[in-house]
Amino acid sequence: MNKSRLLSFLKVAGVISLVLLSREILYADSNITICGSTTVLPVATRAAEEFMDIHEDVSISVRGGGSGVGIAALIDGRINIADASRPIKTKELKVARERGINPVANVIANDGIAVVVHPNNTVTELDITAVKAIYTGEIANWKELGGSSMPIVVVSRDVASGTFEVFKKLVLRGAKVKDGALMLASNKAVATTIAQTPGAIGYIGLGFLSEDVKALKIEGVTPSPETVKSGEYRLARPLFMYTNGKPKGLVKDFIDFILSPKGQAIVKEVGYVPVR
Amino acid sequence: MNRKCETNKRKMENRSALFNLAFLILSFPVILSAVETTLSMELWPRYTLEMKEDADELSESQFALKRGYFRIEPKFNDKIKGRFNLDFFSSEKSQDGAGIKLKYAYLDFKELFPIPESRVSFGLIKPYFGVVYDWNYTTIQKSLEDKEKVIASTDYGVAMYGYIPGGFGEYALGMYNGEGYKKTGSKVNINPAGIVNLRTIPIPGLTLGGSVLYEKAGIPDTLVTKYTERLLYSAIGHIAFGPIDILGEFLVKNYDDTMSQGFMVMPILKLWQLTEIDVDIVGRIDQWDKDKNIDDDMHRRVIGGLNWYILRDEKGKPLVWIQINGERKFYEDKDKPYIDELGIQLRWKFVNKIKG
Repeated sequence: MNKSRLLSFLKVAGVISLVLLSREILYADSNITICGSTTVLPVATRAAEEFMDIHEDVSISVRGGGSGVGIAALIDGRINIADASRPIKTKELKVARERGINPVANVIANDGIAVVVHPNNTVTELDITAVKAIYTGEIANWKELGGSSMPIVVVSRDVASGTFEVFKKLVLRGAKVKDGALMLASNKAVATTIAQTPGAIGYIGLGFLSEDVKALKIEGVTPSPETVKSGEYRLARPLFMYTNGKPKGLVKDFIDFILSPKGQAIVKEVGYVPVR
Repeated sequence: MNRKCETNKRKMENRSALFNLAFLILSFPVILSAVETTLSMELWPRYTLEMKEDADELSESQFALKRGYFRIEPKFNDKIKGRFNLDFFSSEKSQDGAGIKLKYAYLDFKELFPIPESRVSFGLIKPYFGVVYDWNYTTIQKSLEDKEKVIASTDYGVAMYGYIPGGFGEYALGMYNGEGYKKTGSKVNINPAGIVNLRTIPIPGLTLGGSVLYEKAGIPDTLVTKYTERLLYSAIGHIAFGPIDILGEFLVKNYDDTMSQGFMVMPILKLWQLTEIDVDIVGRIDQWDKDKNIDDDMHRRVIGGLNWYILRDEKGKPLVWIQINGERKFYEDKDKPYIDELGIQLRWKFVNKIKG
């Protein structure tokens, strides 16, 4: 390459860089897009609403899809924050770094995974081994667990779900969910199905507990923000908001807001465990 | 004589198709026992227009189905999954105008050895060399090593691969037939080929890596090969910064004392990061010198085009997209005319997950 060609190339590269930089400056700080875990969704939605009330010029769009979808969108550079109810996987981290994305985990809350049944179910307590046996199909009727004679309808989350990943790690420990289990796309769908199906069992984040479902004690411990915080409840996990690099600008303001007393109050109201 | 040859050829084609279909049918009980099976189909219909320098007429102007992949990916549990690919394609070599071949057929074992994030693949697998194993046809053209027949895109063998903790890269070690997926039986020599591959990502957006393939013929061998010793190198560099992505590869092929050498540079501008248009602008320059000791046997390929993504899935992977590429291939030998080619390709796929 001769000198004049090199100079021309550098000029073109310079112009492109200026255009990109000016675009970053013009558009970066007025919108935030958030996508991912349906467990984190209630916190993200409530926090976004309150943040936009304070900052009227800011627009925040929040949607679910599952932790896997959120992390994929962050890797693709299409969103600012990926909500996740599981840590990022090594393969995802590798792909992200290849594409110039540096995922940074911001822990915004802690949560317990509550194992839930229909309110009329007489069973009140299970150990992790029994939950695993139900989900792998070894136990198929509630009477085997001291309940009334009723087939167990197993409800699980789909593979894009971070809650599923954590449940798989903490409860199934490598075993597969039984054939014929209902694989649903959100915590809300699981809660609704359990509330409408007397023989059903499912698992949801603490934020989705209501009077319509009954949370079982696991290993003798009731799932609650208090037992998660104390470490007594074993099916617990942190909730994340992943950003590209350390949060900056408006994204930092938003994360700081969630970690502020006001934001952590939202975390508590939604039913999760504050980290501060 | 010719008629006999054609009859035999046709018989072989029919046998091959029957073998593939039988394999597919026999594999269904195994697939049905999987916890989850992903079925997908990908089709690449393409219009190609080709013209040579100073020619009065086009040398090619046709529509064809260049690729059609039928893919079955059973997942048996968290540790074992499989992949099985049938490749359908238009082919003038076949009397029926189309062909079918086995492209992938392997089982993948996660953490078979106590190494975190490691996997072992066994069967008709990816050769972890250069960029051929993760080439996703950003340009219509094949990767440089595939196009120049340095290495086939799949081969029979066993490989261990995995990810470096913290997302700092990936590695692979493999043992292959070395002759590629099209050659089996007596067309495969007795000596295997070994591949080592390493890619590191020291900082986000910068990937540096390299691969080596080595094969030494046994004496006596079952097959007369083009070499007694084969050594292939590939060095790659990849930069991703905002909407700009640049992939570079330097490739060397040594067959005994004959050295071939070339490189590829492929810059991509992701327009969707600047506008609302989901389009990538792609450029590519290839150079390949078949024998460094011989003059006038080098050629270059310059490609420019765009990829227009019409539909993506929820994770952002393209489902329907159009590729438009213009390519000029020209030769160091000035007596050889350059060749211009325009390719317009519609790629579409559908994916269906079946729960066990």
